[in-house]
Amino acid sequence: MPLATPSLVPDMVLGMLGRCDEDVAEEKRMRSIAQVLIVGMVCLFSTQAFAQGTPGPTRTPDASAQQLRRDLEIMKEQMRQMEDKIRQQEEAIEKLSPPAAPPVAQPVPAPPAAGDREQLKQEVREEVLRDIQPQLSAASKTFPSQFNPAIGLILDNVFSYRQHEGNNFEFRAAELGLSASIDPFARGYAIITGSSDNGLSVEEAALVTTSLPYNLTVKGGRFFADFGRLSKFHDHDLPFVNRPVVLDRFVGGESRADGVEVSYLLPIEQYVTLTAGMYNKLGAENDRVDDTVPRDLGEFTYLGRAATFISLSDAHSVDIGATFAYTPRVKIDQSQDRYLAGIDITYRYVPLSQAAYRGLVWGTEVLFNRESRPVGGFPTDPTAPPPTDFKRNNAWGLYSYLEARLSRRFYPGFLFDYAQALDPGIGDTKAYSPYLTFWLSEFQRLRLQYTYVDQASTPQQSAHANQVFLQWTAILGSHVHGFRDR
Amino acid sequence: MKRRTLVVLSVVLMLLASWTGAEAKIRVVTTIPDLADMAKNIGGDLLEIKSLATGVEDIHAVPMKPSFATILNRADVLLLVGLEVEHAFLPGLLEAARNPKILRDAPGYIDCSVYVTPLEVPTRLDRALGDQHPMGNPHINLDPVAGKAMARAMADGLTRNYPEYEATFKKNLAAYLQTLDTAIARWQREAAPLRGVKFVSYHPDMIYFAERFGMEAAGTIEIRAGIDPTPGHIAALEERMRREGIKLVVRERHYPASLAETIAQRTGAKLVDLPAMVGGVPEARDYVSFIDYNVRTMLKGVQGG
Repeated sequence: MPLATPSLVPDMVLGMLGRCDEDVAEEKRMRSIAQVLIVGMVCLFSTQAFAQGTPGPTRTPDASAQQLRRDLEIMKEQMRQMEDKIRQQEEAIEKLSPPAAPPVAQPVPAPPAAGDREQLKQEVREEVLRDIQPQLSAASKTFPSQFNPAIGLILDNVFSYRQHEGNNFEFRAAELGLSASIDPFARGYAIITGSSDNGLSVEEAALVTTSLPYNLTVKGGRFFADFGRLSKFHDHDLPFVNRPVVLDRFVGGESRADGVEVSYLLPIEQYVTLTAGMYNKLGAENDRVDDTVPRDLGEFTYLGRAATFISLSDAHSVDIGATFAYTPRVKIDQSQDRYLAGIDITYRYVPLSQAAYRGLVWGTEVLFNRESRPVGGFPTDPTAPPPTDFKRNNAWGLYSYLEARLSRRFYPGFLFDYAQALDPGIGDTKAYSPYLTFWLSEFQRLRLQYTYVDQASTPQQSAHANQVFLQWTAILGSHVHGFRDR
Repeated sequence: MKRRTLVVLSVVLMLLASWTGAEAKIRVVTTIPDLADMAKNIGGDLLEIKSLATGVEDIHAVPMKPSFATILNRADVLLLVGLEVEHAFLPGLLEAARNPKILRDAPGYIDCSVYVTPLEVPTRLDRALGDQHPMGNPHINLDPVAGKAMARAMADGLTRNYPEYEATFKKNLAAYLQTLDTAIARWQREAAPLRGVKFVSYHPDMIYFAERFGMEAAGTIEIRAGIDPTPGHIAALEERMRREGIKLVVRERHYPASLAETIAQRTGAKLVDLPAMVGGVPEARDYVSFIDYNVRTMLKGVQGG
């Protein structure tokens, strides 16, 4: 009965002090009980401390330190309660005691003087501390490992059937996430991914400031740039199996970027954030330029974004954002400039009292791209001569999905994709994808999706295709509910 | 002309005075309304208090609204339950709020659980055991004695940040603890029929309440914390309820009603719906009336009527 622990100790000490007027032997007996209880408490603390110290799926890296701190706080509180009770008991005794002690047949030991009581209290306190100190020191030896980052691993696997292509077990990713505070001024995180497509790669490795004034945050390194909404989601975090065609085609998959980003939260009641970024390039699969090649200032990509949140009621809300990315000179596009703009809208219905069981999300992003591209696209054969016939081309696309939360486990949804080709002379693509997500728990998920693709036919791909996917995703170890992935 | 200037000047001064007066209040953000009520009792007019949750939510699933980030951005102190019960929304919001004053381990981050001895501290951390809380069962606000410890931690935290108001906080705390003590003595008397009563709840969040009033939490509808039940688990639970004569099912109001009702019907048990926070039902206006409501509702469930 752990709840009994805090009250037993003060009562015991109280009893010890209260009865010491009458019987020293009783006092000794109580002191022995105190020692047993103290040793018991120490064992409890050490068990907890070591349990917390074991590397495992803890939510925070300093759980042991916090547990010890908590134990100390509880100890202090218990000491304070003991002292209060002793004082109250003394007051009660004084009130109940007759003015003059009647003569007694047998002499009783004289009540200890106030100084003796203080000494006794001091002895108890020191005894507790003396017993606990070695355990605290022993537990402290695990502290160096507690500075290790929180570690989580995400496994993402898909069994796919693609008409005209066949079936496949796709090992999509084993994604190792590390995160920790760096110092009082910044935190850091890294996402390292192994997959059958790209081998081992660093998806993100970034430093983020935590205590800049004026509501500013600076992020630097490799990270997902603040473009739109789902571009910042890792593949396994998407609400459906595959990234929408328009994001894959226009952004280049995830909005991975090497660079720096400054974001500002406006100091007003309305939630508004502004972001400015400068990157080598935007998009993990953007092959216009290599990340390792030094470049002029005009060849970087510059981004601006504004986002806000409108609360329609306790349960209904809308997130709106607008992003603009500009690259003054893209070498592969005959050194012409490139604009990529997007608007994202997310409507949510989340009934407060049933947030885990009911809900609806409607998410839409519309993107617009303008750049010089070769008519008919770049040749797929690397030995072919480079194209010479370029044309300034506008393209746009969108995705829109609706997802319902029917229970804590079942999330059915429907995704519609539309994207024009970036290159002139190539037709557009449409896709329709009903899907059902089944959450076995917060850490494991199955998803079944059917996709009908309607696209411009080429020698490499036919116009229509049916596709079926079964995805199995799980999280091991540390996980966080990040604001970015909301 | 002079008179007009004087009038304008005095109006401006009055506005300025009222503005500085408003600014002088300590901006307190609490995660749940229970803490807001305690803060109101301890800080009184010194505080301007906002609660993120309204009380009807599951504390593990409070929506992470961006509007909360702006509230937290302007906070002087943050009062939280602690024991990582706000894990699903608070860390993300603190990241978005960009307020170094209330980041974890900053003085303005006041964890109200520090004087509470947690129950069910896991000796082994493993996700096979459900959505564990490494520091122990975090639903401490359902026990009024833990509520007293939370109030003390809150007063100490506020004093650390604003030592100039120590006397006020101390005086108000003493009065509030007296109120709680009186109510606790009453609840202990009234809740005598609950002693020894076994019950099943949806989630393991009634443990502190059960310990306080001598009840026995005999199982949960969830397989483990945060894991929805399977038919096999429900069958086993119902079998156990029949075998052990468990006649009470508690549904925390943010969990689905239908399954709890079905289990109660099939086992001949009484179903009671309880709020898990202040504001969970209209009657739970403040912390005292919240515990009051839970004790009375539980008694109705046990005694009938």
